[in-house]
Amino acid sequence: MTRRVLLHVGTPKTGTSYLQDVLFRNRPTLASAGILYPADRFDGHFLAALDLMRLPWGGLEREAIGAWDRLATQVRAHPGTSIISHEILAAASRSQVGQAMESLGHGSGTEVHVVLSVRDLVRQVPAEWQENVKHRSTISYQRFLRQIRDPARRGRISSWFWSVQEIPDILNRWGLDLPPEHVHLVTVPPRGGDRELLWKRFSHVLGLDGLDLDLEAERVNPSLGVPETALIRRINRAANRQVAPVDYRPLVRELLAHQTLSRRTRSPRLALPPDVHPWVRDLEDAWVTEIRERGYDVVGDLEDLRGGPPPRRWANPDSPVEKQVARAAVDAVKALLLENARLQQEVRDVRGELDEAYRALERSYLRPTYRARAKAVRRLQASAMGRNALQAYRAARGRNSRSA
Amino acid sequence: MAGDDGRRRAWGWVAHLRDGGTTPWAGWHAEAERGPYLPGAQQLELLRRLNLAGRPSAALVDRVLSASAPGRGTPDLELVGADSGSAFGPRPVDPAQLPEVELTRVASSLVADDLVTAGTPALREPAFVRPWRTRYRLVGDPWLADPARDALTARGRPPGGRGAVVLVLGTDLATMVADVWTARAFGAGVASWREWLDPLARARSVPPRVDLPRTATAWAGRVGAGRVRVVLDPAALPRLVGVRRSLPARPRPSADATDLARRVGAVLGILVLPQRRTELLRRSLLPRLLEGPGAPGAPLAVPPQHADWALDRAARMRDDLTGAGYAVHGDPDLLLPRREDLAAATAGPTESGVLELALRLLLGSGDRPADTSDRPTEREGHR
Repeated sequence: MTRRVLLHVGTPKTGTSYLQDVLFRNRPTLASAGILYPADRFDGHFLAALDLMRLPWGGLEREAIGAWDRLATQVRAHPGTSIISHEILAAASRSQVGQAMESLGHGSGTEVHVVLSVRDLVRQVPAEWQENVKHRSTISYQRFLRQIRDPARRGRISSWFWSVQEIPDILNRWGLDLPPEHVHLVTVPPRGGDRELLWKRFSHVLGLDGLDLDLEAERVNPSLGVPETALIRRINRAANRQVAPVDYRPLVRELLAHQTLSRRTRSPRLALPPDVHPWVRDLEDAWVTEIRERGYDVVGDLEDLRGGPPPRRWANPDSPVEKQVARAAVDAVKALLLENARLQQEVRDVRGELDEAYRALERSYLRPTYRARAKAVRRLQASAMGRNALQAYRAARGRNSRSA
Repeated sequence: MAGDDGRRRAWGWVAHLRDGGTTPWAGWHAEAERGPYLPGAQQLELLRRLNLAGRPSAALVDRVLSASAPGRGTPDLELVGADSGSAFGPRPVDPAQLPEVELTRVASSLVADDLVTAGTPALREPAFVRPWRTRYRLVGDPWLADPARDALTARGRPPGGRGAVVLVLGTDLATMVADVWTARAFGAGVASWREWLDPLARARSVPPRVDLPRTATAWAGRVGAGRVRVVLDPAALPRLVGVRRSLPARPRPSADATDLARRVGAVLGILVLPQRRTELLRRSLLPRLLEGPGAPGAPLAVPPQHADWALDRAARMRDDLTGAGYAVHGDPDLLLPRREDLAAATAGPTESGVLELALRLLLGSGDRPADTSDRPTEREGHR
């Protein structure tokens, strides 16, 4: 059996969370088909990527120590197909790619395939800004756009954006040492298309067709509208200094953004400003031409990489309609209240259990045998002879507890 | 677009650097056979700087060429004139024009690897715990308290215990502020000096660890004001903790050294657990930063534009402490920074100084010092 590794390296906001959730939850089914998805926690491959790329990530990196080597060891030990998936791998440098490939067995018998899921830049630009906001950033949309349009790509935001979004450059790094037929591009269908089409494309390229997989999503990374993103940005500005990353993730990113504000689907959607649209379309055209020439395996349609026209009415997230933000804020307050109430109930329940434990303990103290022993110890401790006797007894018993 | 000639020229430069060459990329013309992939401009320029500063071993050369800059930031860059010809990716650069901070990023990752490999020197077996020891706790300025506590623990006098007296250690406020940043740079990590200091000064607040009145009040609430002492005179400390021998003075790494530790610590954060990171930074890196030619260099100091803030807050701290009636060992005016010291303060860490230190550390990790007699000359580089 040929050892194969399917290495899905990005890009962000292309259905990666959904894919990783399906793969993680269906590990037994995959294993029965000879496919290894080596993870003991949902974000296992994220941690491995942090380790490979030496990326700090709000303290999470502490859990990532040695994660890539462990992952690679499992892959090398598996005789069949292994799947690795995380979108931040798109940012890996050439030497990190070389290190990853070597550790997975490339060049020593393992057939490595790189998979890159891609979406048009017209949707990716606002989505990346929103991701920044959901990761505590306070940068305005205008400033974000200015930074990513800087040809020198100065600064963290710009360099990160292009390292995970510039498809030809990602493939220059990850596809450098692979034949083009081992590089697979999965295109995300245009907005409003068949919702299952993307999964079918993933399923095809990863060899999952015909497997009975549970496709019910538990984890997704849903998008927010204009007022909702503006609200999160304001929350970041107000609370970043007080809220630690470890609390920000469950409260702001998960509870507020993902579980509450993403449900407000009738608000204006984030989009490119009309004046930036032609610049992005030109880039998309250049990318499509380049990718077509390289001869990669395209699963889907390269035309999917050309974004749609600008919206008829563009909503500026830097100056949103305040009424819409206020409504989103009310939903956010309500969610926090309900969460607080749930936690209060949990505290009451735990306190009740603790009280019950105390009462049980007291009852045991009140047992006649306990009281007799306690009285004996008190008496013995009152005299030197008694203390020596107690010490001898404890030594003989083989326990040094001071309590009776 | 560079084409194959440019790529071969780049491989020629790689070979030259591997041989210890120091010719800048802009002045290099010879070609060599191509390899699998070219290292980034940052790695190549770092190797050139190492060659200028000493003689890196073959192992170090390999490590430099296969390293990547850690964390988010500028990705590996291609050499101008030798790029792949792709219209995509970041612009190629002349490596000599790279900001030094980019070279330090790569170097700090390699220094972190060295630290993890070397580990920490073995600790001396702690002396047996003296039952008759004076019970104490050391709080306040962490860079003063930590070494003293470690030394006392090693002498069989660990902190805590029934009836312990709480000793709030301090010195002038400007030094204490620098100490807090230093302790965090050699510990859990911190933003750059000015990114950390400027908002603090703008808000006219002081770091909680060295807000001595607040610390004293908090401890007074727990143990009673009678068991809280403020210690501003370091000579008084041995007597207060019940020892005769003097305690070690706090280490004074330079501003550049402290900033390098901060950057190395950020990489260590993904290589080892937090407690181990602090051990490696304080017990392995710090002694190396305090030795060697030119060490330790100019210490960290609060810059002159924050002098008013430092003086105001120090005066308020002195008044609060004396007004609250705590026992103070040393002159309360010791809390006040000297205006002339603040006026003469340096600008803080410098990029060139931090890089120079990183190069020194890398070359010191089993590599021979510079011997210019057998290094290829600029002229040889143009062969």
